[in-house]
Amino acid sequence: MRRLEMNMRAFPAFSAFRPLSRTTPRLLPLVGAFAAAAAFALPAQAQSIDAGRQKAEEVCAACHGKDGNTPIDPSYPKLAGQYQDYLEHSLLDYKHDRRKNPIMGAQAKPLSRADIRNVAAYYASLPGTVSNHADRIGR
Amino acid sequence: MIEKRMVAAGFAAVMLLPCLAVAQGASQGAAPAQDQQAVQGNAEAGRAKNSMCIGCHEIPGYKSSFPSVYHVPRIIGQNARYIESALREYRNRDRNHPTMTAVAEGLSDRDIADLAAYYGSK
Repeated sequence: MRRLEMNMRAFPAFSAFRPLSRTTPRLLPLVGAFAAAAAFALPAQAQSIDAGRQKAEEVCAACHGKDGNTPIDPSYPKLAGQYQDYLEHSLLDYKHDRRKNPIMGAQAKPLSRADIRNVAAYYASLPGTVSNHADRIGR
Repeated sequence: MIEKRMVAAGFAAVMLLPCLAVAQGASQGAAPAQDQQAVQGNAEAGRAKNSMCIGCHEIPGYKSSFPSVYHVPRIIGQNARYIESALREYRNRDRNHPTMTAVAEGLSDRDIADLAAYYGSK
């Protein structure tokens, strides 16, 4: 016990482990407030693959293919099975002109933050042929 | 008198040099645009040029950590023509990612075509 207290003094981060009785009562309302805020905030953050599918069929499928894996031009990427966070990042870059492409800039600009999240979740959920496993090279 | 003439000739030559350089630069600048169509990628050659790619793109789940954290894309089996255009965009700075710009700046049109052939699908 004494050793633990010494450690607390040496490393303030350890103080989180100090006996609960002293700090808990004062912090309880705060913890409650955070929990409530998180409960409200979470649904706004959640993605919807179904909403993504709808948006994708309106906006993306004509060029990237209905399955997200058969683009109409070989210089367009396959999206099916790509990482969700990478797709999101790409669309945000197009939207804000950090990635310059006249076609994709025009497609991405009207998309809301939620549209982008949903569309990315939808394409990431589709079975694809892109990979980062070296044994898939040349197949 | 002769010396004076030589100095004048030298001066003229020095003044003309930048013009020549500009003309040469313009003709060099035009060349890659023609090559762009001509270069056919060779997957076997690409295999020997991928040392800068494997540390990120061949590690499942790998995330780039700078400037923001997200998974590096899956490029194996991606359209070869798309991989080519992506590398060109990084090289031209139409697409900005510090690591990828640095890698792409070191690649010739041939290197890009070879790597696209190696990683991409036809």
